[in-house]
Amino acid sequence: MPIRNFSIIAHIDHGKSTLADRLLQATRAVSDREAREQLLDSMDLERERGITIKASAVTVSHHCDGQDYQLNFIDTPGHVDFTYEVSRALTACEGAVLVVDSTQGVEAQTVANAYLAIGSDLDLIPVVNKIDLPAADPDRVAMEIESVLGLPAEDCIYCSAKTGQGIAELLDAICRMLPDPRPATINETRALIFDSHYDEYRGVIVYVRVFDGALKIGDRIRMMGTGTTWTITELGINTPQPQKVTQIGTSEVGYLVASIKTLEDVRVGDTITLDKYPASEALPGYEEPQQMVFCDFYPATAAAESSKKSDFEALREAIEKLRLNDASFTYEVQHSEALGFGFRCGFLGLLHMEIVQERLEREGGVEIVQTAPTVTYQVLTIDDEVVEIHNPADLPDPAQIKEIREPLVKIEIICPDDNIGDMMSLCDSRRGVFQSQQFISEGRQMLVFEIPLAEIIYDFYDKLKSITRGYGTMDYEITEFRADSLAKVSILVNGAPVEALSLICHRENAEKRGRSMLLKLRKQIDRHQFEIALQAAIGGKIIARETVKAVRKNVTAKCYGGDITRKRKLLEKQKAGKKRMKSVGSVQIPQEAFLSILDQSE
Amino acid sequence: MAMPQFDHSTASLPQLAETPSTAESILRGLQDAGTCIQGAYVHVPFCMHRCHYCDFFTVAGRDQWRSAYVTRLLDEATVVAQHWPGPADTLFVGGGTPTWLEPPDLARLLEGLAACSLLGKGGEWTVEANPETVTEEVAGILAGAGVNRVSLGAQSFRTEALKALERWHDPDSVPRALAFLRDAGIQDCSLDLIFAVPDGGDAVSGWTSDLKRAVSLAPTHLSCYGLTYEPGTPLRRRLESGAVTQVDQDIEAVLYATTQSVLADHGYTQYEISNWAQGDQVCDHNLNYWRNANWWPLGPSGSGHVNGTRWRNRPRLGPYLEGQGLSEIDTVEVLDADGRAGEVLMLGLRCTRGIERQKVIAATSLPMRGQQRAAAIERHLESGLLVWDDDLLRLTQAGMLLGDTVLVDLL
Repeated sequence: MPIRNFSIIAHIDHGKSTLADRLLQATRAVSDREAREQLLDSMDLERERGITIKASAVTVSHHCDGQDYQLNFIDTPGHVDFTYEVSRALTACEGAVLVVDSTQGVEAQTVANAYLAIGSDLDLIPVVNKIDLPAADPDRVAMEIESVLGLPAEDCIYCSAKTGQGIAELLDAICRMLPDPRPATINETRALIFDSHYDEYRGVIVYVRVFDGALKIGDRIRMMGTGTTWTITELGINTPQPQKVTQIGTSEVGYLVASIKTLEDVRVGDTITLDKYPASEALPGYEEPQQMVFCDFYPATAAAESSKKSDFEALREAIEKLRLNDASFTYEVQHSEALGFGFRCGFLGLLHMEIVQERLEREGGVEIVQTAPTVTYQVLTIDDEVVEIHNPADLPDPAQIKEIREPLVKIEIICPDDNIGDMMSLCDSRRGVFQSQQFISEGRQMLVFEIPLAEIIYDFYDKLKSITRGYGTMDYEITEFRADSLAKVSILVNGAPVEALSLICHRENAEKRGRSMLLKLRKQIDRHQFEIALQAAIGGKIIARETVKAVRKNVTAKCYGGDITRKRKLLEKQKAGKKRMKSVGSVQIPQEAFLSILDQSE
Repeated sequence: MAMPQFDHSTASLPQLAETPSTAESILRGLQDAGTCIQGAYVHVPFCMHRCHYCDFFTVAGRDQWRSAYVTRLLDEATVVAQHWPGPADTLFVGGGTPTWLEPPDLARLLEGLAACSLLGKGGEWTVEANPETVTEEVAGILAGAGVNRVSLGAQSFRTEALKALERWHDPDSVPRALAFLRDAGIQDCSLDLIFAVPDGGDAVSGWTSDLKRAVSLAPTHLSCYGLTYEPGTPLRRRLESGAVTQVDQDIEAVLYATTQSVLADHGYTQYEISNWAQGDQVCDHNLNYWRNANWWPLGPSGSGHVNGTRWRNRPRLGPYLEGQGLSEIDTVEVLDADGRAGEVLMLGLRCTRGIERQKVIAATSLPMRGQQRAAAIERHLESGLLVWDDDLLRLTQAGMLLGDTVLVDLL
C-alpha cells in the first residue's frame, strides 16, 4: 500500500486542528458520533488555548484512483516558539499541507512554517480554509500565497473544515501530489524518534518514523545518540485509537513501548537501530533544541522553613514528569539567596515558558514563583574564551570581560498598512534595525527587522497586538550572537550588591532601566528604623539612586478587649512575613521585591 | 479613682480543663475554679449612622429593636449574675452608641445592670456616648443608675474633619454634653479624638486646634487615636481605591509628638499609647485589657478573656434577640504558654508603666520562643526603643511611635 507521510502547518488559529479532525472523519477513522473536537490535541491545556503543543501521529487509509493509501498524519505545533518541534515532525514527512485562513491571509507564521517545510525538502499543498465564512476572500489569499511563498495560486485547494467542502479533494491531492517515501538506503534498521509521550502505566511512548528496515516486537534496540538499549514490548499505530501491531516497516510511522522509565533516556531526534545489527551512521538533521529564554522557578510555598524541602522536591518531581513530555526545556538546580532552592529553566521562547509553568502548576499540582526571563549571553573573556551566561549574576568580573554578545533575531511582522509607522517606532525603540518591507496584499505589509532577542521577550508581542488591534502577527528566528555595548547593572542596597537583582542591558538604556528597578524596589521594601539607599551601578559608577525613608510611626492605635486576638494575629502574620524576607546587611527585602522588580514593564 | 494594684499573676490561676464550647461551660468552670473576674463589658450595637472607619459590630436603621434588645440583654445579665464569682472592679457599657437607646430603655438597661450587682461597690462604671445624644435627661439617667464615668466620642472639633469621618454632630455638642454630665454629678469624663484624618486641610495646625479645644474643656481623660484604616471598612476600601489618601507617616509622627507635648503641658499624663489622664483618673477597665486580667462580655460581638482563654460572642443581632440566656459564642481561642506570654508583652508594653521584670523573665525563659524574645529585647534596648526603668521594661518615647516594630519581634 502506498504511504503518504505528511503534516499540516499553519499560522495559529487558521484552522489546522479542525481540518485534521475533518480529514480523519472523512477517512472514517473517527465516526461522527465519536468525533471530539480537535481530536489530536490530547491535552486540556492545548484545547483551552487552541494551540497544539505536542505532535502526535495518526494512521488512516484513503481510497483514491483505484487503490488504498496509508496516510500517516503527523501533527505539529503551531506557535512561534515551537519551531524546533515542528522541525522534528517535518523531518518524518515527505509533504505538508499549508493551511491559510481565507479571512485572514498569509501571516508571519505561515511564512515561517512554509520556509521550514521547504527547507526540509517537503512538497507543499496550499489550502485556503474557512471559505464558508462571509468574510472569506479565497482568491486574494491564494494570490498572497503565490506572491509571498511562490506557490502557484491555481494549485490552492479551497476548503472549509467546518462544512467539509473541499475535504475529499484535499485527501485525493495528498495521495496524488505528495511523493512516495524514499526507499530504504541501507539494510540495517534506522528509525527517527520525532516525539515521545509519557504514560503513567507503560512508561515512555516513543513515536518513530522508520526510514530503513523495520522494528518488531521483542527487538533489542539501541538509541544511537545515547547508546542505551531496550527491548520493544509493544508496537502500535494510532487510528487514532491506539492499535497494537507486530511490526513497523520501512516508511511507516508508529509508536513503541520498551519499558523506558524516563524521557532522559529518549532523545527526540535520535536514531533507533537494532542492537544486534546496528547501522553505522545515524539519520541526519537532528539538532539539539536551543533554549534561548531562561527564568527561574521556585516553589511558591518555600516560605515556611519546615516545608521548604518537600515543596522543592514536589517541584522537582513535577518538572521531571513534565520533561517526559517536553524534551525541549532544560532545568538545573538553582539556589537564590533570596528565594531559596529552585530551578533555572531554559525555554525555546516566551510562550513555551508560559505553557511549561501552567502545566507544572496544573498537572504537577505545584505553585510556582517565576522570575523574569532573560536571554542567553555569550561572554568573550580576556583569555579569548567564550562563556555562555543564562543569568546576569553569573557574569565574570568586568575586568575579565572582553565583550558581551547577545542573540539577535530576524523578526518578520505582518501588519496592516496603517500600523507600519507605529511598528517601525516600536522596533526602533527596541534597538531594531530595519531590513526590508514587503507588500503582502492590498492593505498589508511585511516588515523585517533585525532586533536583539532580549528586546522582544518581555512585552513585544503584547505591544504588537495592541498597536495592530490584534491584526499584526510576528515570527522570529535567531540569527547570530553579536557583541554590543552591553553592561551589567548591579543593584546595591545600602552599599551591598544584591546579585539576584542584577541585570544585563544596553548601556544607553542602563540608567532608565536601573531607575525603574529602583522605583519598584522602593515600593516593596518596608521602611526600616534607618534610611535605606538603593543604587544602580555599572562597575563602580552609580547611575541611579532612590531612598527608602526611615520608619517614623508604626503602632496600633487601638487595642482593647475585642481587638487583642485580631491584632496579635496581624502581628504574627507580619512576623511570619519578616521571616520570609531576605536580609541584605540589616535590610529586610521581601521575596515579592525580587519578582516584581524583575518585571521589566514600565 | 486610684490606680488599682494589679496582681493577677496569671500563672497562679487555675486553668480551665478543656476548650469550652459555650459561655455557660466557661462560667461553670470559673465558679468551680474560684477565679475572679475583674471587668464586665456590655455591648449596645445601635447607632444612628455607621461611620465608615468603624469596624465594631454596630447596626444602624434597626432602632425598632432597641427595646427588645434591652430586655434580652438583661435576661443575659441575670444568667451571668447567677454564676458571677464576685463583684468586678469595672463595668463598661460600649457600642455602638449606648446613649442612642431611648431614655426609658437606657434607664431600664442601666438600672437592670445595677440590680445584677456585677460591679462591686465603688467600682468604675463607664458608658460610651455620642455628644449629641447626651441631654440633661440622659445625664440624669446615667448618674441616677450609678454610672461614674462617661467616654464621649468627640473625634474632632472641626467640621471638615468630622465630615471626613462621617460624624455629623455639632462640635459645640461636646461642651454641652460635658456640662450636663458634670451638673448631674459625673465628673470623670473622657474625650475620644482622632488625628491624621484626611480632611484636606493642614494636618498639624488642624490637630493642634483640636487638642487645644479639648484641653480647654478640661476632661479628666483623653484618648487620642491615629486614624486606622481597618480591614473591611468602607474607609479602607476608599484608601485602596485611591479615593482617600492617607496622611504621610512623617506627619503622623509629628502629630503624635504634638499630642504628647500639648497634653503634657496641660497636666495630662500618658499612661498608654493612645491614652492620657489627669492625675490617676485612668480607665481601669481598659487597663484590665492591657494587664491581661479577666473580663466577661455580654451581648453580640462582645469579647471575653479568662485565664488565657479568649472568646467572642456571635456578632448577629437577629439570632441574639431570638435566643435567651447567655450569648452564643462564635470563636474560642485557648492560648498556649508561649502565646500567652506573647500577649502579656504585646499588651503590657502598650502601657507607659511597662512590664514587671518577673513577667519578662517568664516570657523569655519559655522553651519555644523564649530565646528569640530575649534576643529581640536586647536588640530593641540597643536601638533605643525599649528601656529598663528599674524593674520595669517599657517603650521609650521613640518606641511609643514604633510599638509594632518592637512587638512583632516579641510575640
